[in-house]
Parts: sequence; C-alpha cells; structure tokens
Amino acid sequence: MASISLKKLNKTYGALKVVHDIDLEIADKEFIVLVGPSGCGKSTTLRMIAGLEEISGGELIIGSDLMNDVPSKDRDIAMVFQNYALYPHMTVYRNMAFGLELRKAPRDVIERQVEEAAKILDISHLLNRKPKALSGGQRQRVALGRAMVRNPAVFLLDEPLSNLDAKLRGTMRAEITKLHKRLDATFIYVTHDQVEAMTMADRIVVMKDGHIQQVDTPQNLYDRPVNMFVAGFIGAPQMNLLPAKLTQEDGRFFALVEEHKLPLPQSFDRSRLLAYEGKDVVLGIRPENFHELAPADIDPANSAPFHAVVELAEPMGSEVHLNLIAGGRNMIARVSPRFRSKIGDRVSLVADLTNAQLFDPQTERSILY
Amino acid sequence: MQWLEAFWTKEGKGIPKDAPKRTGLPLFAEIIAREWWELVKLNLLFLLFSLPLVTAPAATFATATICRMMVEDRPVYLLRDFLEALRAHAMRATVWALVAGTAVIIGVGAISAYAAAARTSLFYAAPLALSLVVTLFVTLWAACFVMVSVTEARPFWESLKLSALAALLRPLPLLAALAFVAALWIAHILFYPVSVFMPAVMNFSLGMFAVAFGAQGVVAQVLARSEEENTIQEP
Ligand SMILES: Nc1ncnc2c1ncn2[C@@H]1O[C@H](COP(=O)(O)OP(=O)(O)OP(=O)(O)O)[C@@H](O)[C@H]1O
Ligand SMILES: [Mg+2]
Repeated sequence: MASISLKKLNKTYGALKVVHDIDLEIADKEFIVLVGPSGCGKSTTLRMIAGLEEISGGELIIGSDLMNDVPSKDRDIAMVFQNYALYPHMTVYRNMAFGLELRKAPRDVIERQVEEAAKILDISHLLNRKPKALSGGQRQRVALGRAMVRNPAVFLLDEPLSNLDAKLRGTMRAEITKLHKRLDATFIYVTHDQVEAMTMADRIVVMKDGHIQQVDTPQNLYDRPVNMFVAGFIGAPQMNLLPAKLTQEDGRFFALVEEHKLPLPQSFDRSRLLAYEGKDVVLGIRPENFHELAPADIDPANSAPFHAVVELAEPMGSEVHLNLIAGGRNMIARVSPRFRSKIGDRVSLVADLTNAQLFDPQTERSILY
Repeated sequence: MQWLEAFWTKEGKGIPKDAPKRTGLPLFAEIIAREWWELVKLNLLFLLFSLPLVTAPAATFATATICRMMVEDRPVYLLRDFLEALRAHAMRATVWALVAGTAVIIGVGAISAYAAAARTSLFYAAPLALSLVVTLFVTLWAACFVMVSVTEARPFWESLKLSALAALLRPLPLLAALAFVAALWIAHILFYPVSVFMPAVMNFSLGMFAVAFGAQGVVAQVLARSEEENTIQEP
C-alpha cells in the first residue's frame, strides 16, 4: 500500500516560504502529475516526499506511517531526476545495480532484477556499456531502470523528459505510461509540459507560487477550471479571457463583450449568475469554441456571431490559429485550414458558449464552480 | 566544475539495438577497445596475486574467469569476481600447473634435443616433428582445460576429457590466440626498452583474453554436447 497524503505540508528557506500548507491525498497506484510555472515549488514538494529536503511543517504520510523524519533510503521510494545523472565510470548494469548493491542484495537477485528491468525498457543490449556512448533516450531509460530495479512502492519523477527531443519525448511518454500500468506503483510526476500532464495523469495538481490551485482529472481541469490561472494554464493555445458584463433578459443570461451579446447556456447555475447580474465578469472561451461556420452539433441557442480583425494567421497544418483583435483585446481562434483570411480582414465567426467559463474579475475565481 | 558536468551529461550518439553483431577479429578489437582499462587493472591484479608464486596458477585461472566474462559480455565486478575465482579454482589450478608445466617442459626439452640432433642427422627430423606437434597439442589442451574449468564446474577428469576434445575439434582459433600471445612477448622484446612496461600493463591479461576469445566457441560447443549426452543417458 503506497497511498500518500500531504497534510498542511510546507517548506521555508529562512524567511522565504516556497511551499504553502499543501493538502493532497494520493491514492495507491495513482499517476499524479504536478504542473505549474517555473519556481512554483513542484520540485521542492517532490523532494520533500523523497526525503531529500527537510519538511518545514505539516505531515507526510505514506501508507499509514508518518514519514517526516524517516530517512530517504527507508521510504521505499525511487526518484528519477531531470538530468538523470548516471555514474559515468560505471557500466549501465552497475548503474542499475548500484542501489541494490548498497542494500547488500544477493548477487542473483540483483542480476535477475536488472535483467528484467532492462528487458522491459528494451535496453538489454546496453548493459555492459558505459553511459558515455548512450543517447539521451537510452540514458533516460537507464535512469528509469535504475529506479525500477529497486522495485519501489512510489516513483518520483522530476521532469524526466525535459532533456529529450520532441520525438523521443513522445515515445518515452508512452513508455512511462505503460510502465505505470505494469508496475503497480504510485507515480508522482513533475513537469511543466501540459501535454505530458494531460496525456499521462490520472489526476493533475496545478500549482502556483507554492499553492495548489486545483486537483482534478485532466478532462475536468480542462472543462471546469476553478480560477483564471488554471483556465489559462491548461490548454494550448490558451483560453481567451475577455472582460464582459453579465445581463439578464427574458429570464436568460447574456455576456456582453463589446458589441457582442453572447447567450449563456441554460445549464449554468442561475443562482450563481444572479449574484453577478449587471456586474463585470471575465468570460472564458477556448480557441476551439470559435467556428468559421456553426457546426451542426452545437445548440444555436448557445451560440452567437462574433466579429474580429485578423492580426496574424498561423497555419498548423490540421488547423489555423487566428490571432484576432476584438475591441482592442487580443484573442485566438482555432479554425479549419479551409478558412481563408488575410491580415487586416474583419472576419465573422461563430462563438459557441456551451463550454464557456465565467470568472470574478477581482478574486479571479470561477463563478460557475 | 561546469565543464565536468557537461562532459558527463553530454549525449552520446547512442548504441543501435539491431546493429549486426560483430564477430571474429572486429569483435575482438571492439571488446578490447571497450575494456582496455579493465584489462590493465586485471593485469595488475594478476601480477599482484602471482607474486607469492605458488598462487600464480590460481591467479591464471582467475584472470581467465574475468576474460571469459568479458568475452561473453557479462557484467564484471573485477576485484570481487577475481577473488572469488581465485578461491574457487586454487586446488585445480595448482594441479594443472604441475602437470601441464611438467609436460610442456618435457616437450620443450625433447624439441630442443631433437632439433640439435636433427642438425647432424636427418633421421631425427621425424621425432622432432612429433615432439613439436605433441607439445603444441599439450599446450592447447592445457589452455582449453583452463577455459573449460572456468566456464563450468565439472569433475576434474571430465574437464580434462572435454578440453582435449576441444583442442582437437577446433585448434585454429586457439592457435591464432597463442600466436597473438607470442606476438605480445615478441613485441615486448623487439621494442625494448620502449616496451619495458608492457608486461606490467597488459601482456598477461591481454594474452589471456585472446585465449578466452579463441576458446570460447569450441568450449561452449563441447560443454553443450556433453550436457546433451548426460541428459540422454540419465533417464
Ligand atoms: N535552497 C534554496 N534556497 C532558497 N530558495 C530556494 C532553494 N531551493 C529552491 N528555492 C526556491 O524555491 C522556489 C521553488 O523552487 P522549485 O525548484 O521547487 O520550483 P519548481 O516548481 O520545481 O520550478 P522549475 O519548474 O523551474 O523546476 C523557487 O522560487 C526557488 O527559487
Ligand atoms: Mg523543478
């Protein structure tokens, strides 16, 4: 059993508080991803779980035991770092066996574990080579293998793919996901690549300035961000956040953005909207919710025309990212490459508000959730 | 320290998985290129443990054990494996050294005697050739015996039989290995004093490595075959 719970966990360096009272429950065998901008405390949190960093306050519980003062080596945890430092003078085999040797495991056990891990990671042919000759991906796999042979209950991975090129990242991402399925271990994975977060995680923890912003499944995080930060952080290109005014007409709510009167879905919680009637709000619309033509499957009652001036068109192959200006505001729409437009054109799109978000401009919190 | 870290973390060009495996001489060169530092250390270990002289045979077997692991591309823990092998083979190595040493000395004695005699009378050419061949065979046999012993634990007589078989079955790679060993020593003599440290640095381990490399195929073959025979006979 390797469920992990963080209770009011925090970390201070002198007067500087870098992790603030983090509460988090991680289930056994879960794949948790920590994301957030640089310096938000992801690595620090991970290192506290690993025992590489002293815990300034709060509790760390693994399984049912308080781990605050348990030394790193007794936590049944393996950590893979960003720069996957391998011992350069040791062969791959020795690098992988090292942890077990320190624990005085019998030779045949070490051999079996190393060979098994090597087979899973497809690096059997590298076992007697030195790291020097290995490519980045191969080294990465060795680093993973080194963690694997210890057969830990918890894997901690701190941006393990950040040094790899895009193609290799893709394959390694899949490898790690497969590994998780196979190993029956709890994974905590730090990244600032949201594609990694979205594709790998059972649940994502979004952090900012040492605070947890939201913990949820990738889809929920995307569909129901609790605040503007999460809304802007998850999804690429970013969600458009437009200043708007909330009004009510004939029992229906509308968001007024410049000259546009955008109908809000009936499914939105009326009582919450009422509190903001006549007030300023921030309307969030994802770029893919602008369409060049209204698709057949959207409810016309939840959509409205939207006019904007094209500032830049970025063809991505399968789609085009239109950088638009509406009422002095920059925004982005994802449209089909069939949509022809020139810079400076005033285009007419359809805004679908089915998945729109509303935020309080002062607190930046979601009005809907 | 920055450059040091860069040196560590700089990516290599990678090792392809499906690259056709080298064989023969290219493989021999590849392993030496990869393991040369280990071979130097191994040579040192051999010399160190041969100093008391009585332990020299055991050190020979231990060196052979390590070389065999390198040939088979198995992970080597130099000191630990060396000491383990030293202990495991001490008895057999001593017997081997006495018997093989005596045989080779007699052989060499016979060769030089007949060679001297052959100069005066052609009548001695035949026994000279015979003693040459026999001595050479005994040498190959002795080398094979070392390799068979360090490859698989078998009773003494069985190892003896199997190594004779190995020496007869495919003597060519072994002869090449012995020629390589001879070349090492000739180089040492020829390039003296430049090559003064050659024996201290690599002659023993490299020579043994060549023998292990040459013997590996046939030793595996005879061991596998005898295994088959044993399992067929048993039930
Ligand atoms: N030893 C230290 N002393 C003082 N401050 C530190 C120390 N280590 C980290 N910090 C600060 O703690 C904060 C969190 O650092 P941390 O490494 O956890 O960020 P991160 O989320 O992992 O960022 P990145 O994505 O860049 O890796 C940063 O502002 C950093 O400057
Ligand atoms: Mg970090």
